[in-house]
Amino acid sequence: MRNLSILLVGLAALIALPHALSFSQQEILVFLVINVLLVTSYRLLTLTGEWSLGHVVIMGVGAYASALYTKELGIYVPVSMILGAVTAALLAVLLSFPLFRMKGFYFLIGSFAAGEIIRLIWKRFREPFGGVRGISGIDPMPDFSIGIYQFDFFEPVSYYYFAGAIVIASLWVLWRIEKSPVGLTFHAVHWQDKLAQASGVNLRAYRTLAFAIASGFAGLAGALQGHYVGTVNPNSFDIEVMVFVLTWAIVGGTQTFYGPILGCIVLTVLNEIVLREMGLEQARPLIYGAIMILSILFLPNGLESLVQKATRRKPVAKPEEKAAT
Amino acid sequence: MIPKFLTAGPSRRTFLKTAGAAAASLGLPRMALAAGEPIKIGFLAPLTGAVAAWGKPGLDGCEIWAERVNAAGGIQLADGAHPIEFVSYDNEYDPAKARTGATKLIREDGVKFIMMLGGDTWPGVQPVADRTGMLFSTLLPSDLSPETTTLVAPAEVHPIYNVTGVEWLAENKPDLKTAVMCAQDDALGLPSVATYLAAFEAAGIEMLDEPLLFDPATTDFAPVVTRLMAKNPQIICLDTCYSDYVHPICEQLFQQGFKGQIISCTADFYDQMIEKTSKDFMEGFVFQFPDFDDPALNSDAINFQDPNGFYAEYNKRHPGQWGAVSWEYASIMDMWKAAAEKAGSAEPDAVMTAMKDGRGAHAFGDADWWGKDLFGIDNALVGDWPVVAIENGKAVIKEFRSIPDWYNRHGDLMVKHMQAYGQMWDQRG
Repeated sequence: MRNLSILLVGLAALIALPHALSFSQQEILVFLVINVLLVTSYRLLTLTGEWSLGHVVIMGVGAYASALYTKELGIYVPVSMILGAVTAALLAVLLSFPLFRMKGFYFLIGSFAAGEIIRLIWKRFREPFGGVRGISGIDPMPDFSIGIYQFDFFEPVSYYYFAGAIVIASLWVLWRIEKSPVGLTFHAVHWQDKLAQASGVNLRAYRTLAFAIASGFAGLAGALQGHYVGTVNPNSFDIEVMVFVLTWAIVGGTQTFYGPILGCIVLTVLNEIVLREMGLEQARPLIYGAIMILSILFLPNGLESLVQKATRRKPVAKPEEKAAT
Repeated sequence: MIPKFLTAGPSRRTFLKTAGAAAASLGLPRMALAAGEPIKIGFLAPLTGAVAAWGKPGLDGCEIWAERVNAAGGIQLADGAHPIEFVSYDNEYDPAKARTGATKLIREDGVKFIMMLGGDTWPGVQPVADRTGMLFSTLLPSDLSPETTTLVAPAEVHPIYNVTGVEWLAENKPDLKTAVMCAQDDALGLPSVATYLAAFEAAGIEMLDEPLLFDPATTDFAPVVTRLMAKNPQIICLDTCYSDYVHPICEQLFQQGFKGQIISCTADFYDQMIEKTSKDFMEGFVFQFPDFDDPALNSDAINFQDPNGFYAEYNKRHPGQWGAVSWEYASIMDMWKAAAEKAGSAEPDAVMTAMKDGRGAHAFGDADWWGKDLFGIDNALVGDWPVVAIENGKAVIKEFRSIPDWYNRHGDLMVKHMQAYGQMWDQRG
């Protein structure tokens, strides 16, 4: 009952949130929600111990695929978004053959190279990828009404509700996967790979599974972004954007499900709202970098460690101990 | 700010702002500005990151422009005089952030006009422009298309003006007959490659190799330069490379012993290039963007107000920072101010109508609205453009040349190469 109440209050707060914000903050909120899905999907991949530098490019695969499905084939936008996510997942399966011949640092570099190859393909082939200019004029999500609310997807509030519902559903699926036997096996693949292998776990298959699921949700995030902004280009998915995703994950922490989400929210609010409002717009890269270094120095376990410290319950004394005192 | 971000309900100010902007977007009667109330102009360009050199100096120039205009009484509209105030938003050359910035400038700050660099960022802003009818300007007319009815390119018709530099070179140094070219493989580099190819073909200069397109992430230019020099060209063309590329390429050309002619769209911070190479090496370097202390800009044909004084003030405040865009956004503001005063109103549709009524007062002389052939819409202001060469360590305007004259003679070559590189408006993704 208590959990249900917390859930309902949380949901009500999320519904009310955009109405407390200015127009530009509502826009930032839309991108924040999409980035929450991106960074949470990234964490799923890190559960198996592999850190990729190609995750943002995979997000771009979902964005490009969904844009092309609507532009070239006339597929209905929500369906093309799902197909974009599936395309990203299938590409990840394909990439897993060369990439999972590597581990650790080599996988990191391999994933970067794979991502750059994909970006070069987008640049080289004007048909169908639009070359360096990318694809513009991507169909937006079609407006509709549910009686009590008219969804106008040019407006950030409408898109926030739409993207927010998809992201919440996606986070629930990711959460369920992590807590399932499959998720526990991901942990085993990371921390006890030899033991897991000895127990009959196919390490490569589980790494591929994590890579494909994470890529599918990253692709969905890309599709959500592409149909909102109306354009995709290779520069929107380059290594600089990937560095932001890594930063959110590292500053937030990856030990808990909420760590990267916390990192994404705190750093986005700081960078896009607080520093801009303080008139430090042009000094943001400097301040952002300094905060990142300081947080790594003084919060090596990420922002999630602060939450853990704040919510840790004090051990309750046993009755006999109480009597003795 | 964070408490505001987390507030459970809208504040009175947020409510009023929201209601006001919503009313505006619904096309309700607009409220006139009170006399003396500042007119806000949006500046939506990269102020940080790799492309900041084509945003930040422009904002610095605009602030000088605003101080001068405000000191002279501001802008005279039908309801009286108004000072000008700039509101900037750093879009980091990202389309999503550009959309957020456009939303903020229009719906929160109430700007009447927005200046952009354009390029990758324009497609993110276009839906906002379509919905609100806001007047935008770009420095990159390759953003123009028949759909961009509220977008104008009144300062720089990049890259079409590059033809003037090649034409001048062919006439003044006729012994130069062979060339090679390099460019970054992006939305700025490719249309410029097509333009230079057309210009070289029109001038009878042979290209010894296909243009060398390098990735924008390139940092080591030694192999690029080695390949450029391999065919022993007389001219090396640096296309529209960012200054982060022009500088190291010139250093490499110097170190690898190039003795020929260099031509480039820009040579921002050329004094630093001379320091890194030598005065002799940079002698005769041809590009397209003058210093505004040049006496040639004091001609009666020039429409930019007090270019020499503007340059002196800019250098006093931002020594060593003068670049290609330092004056461009300010020159757009000259045009916008003239159009608003002619219309008696700062409303975007009225200014647009007044701006396009007849010839335009471009910074380098009166010019025509043009572009149907290449951009599908006549929203680019095209006239004369200067050819600049470095002489004795200083940029000097050699001549003003007419872009429309060149296009009337060689427009078919331009279209051919633009099509080959997929840069015509109907070929964009």
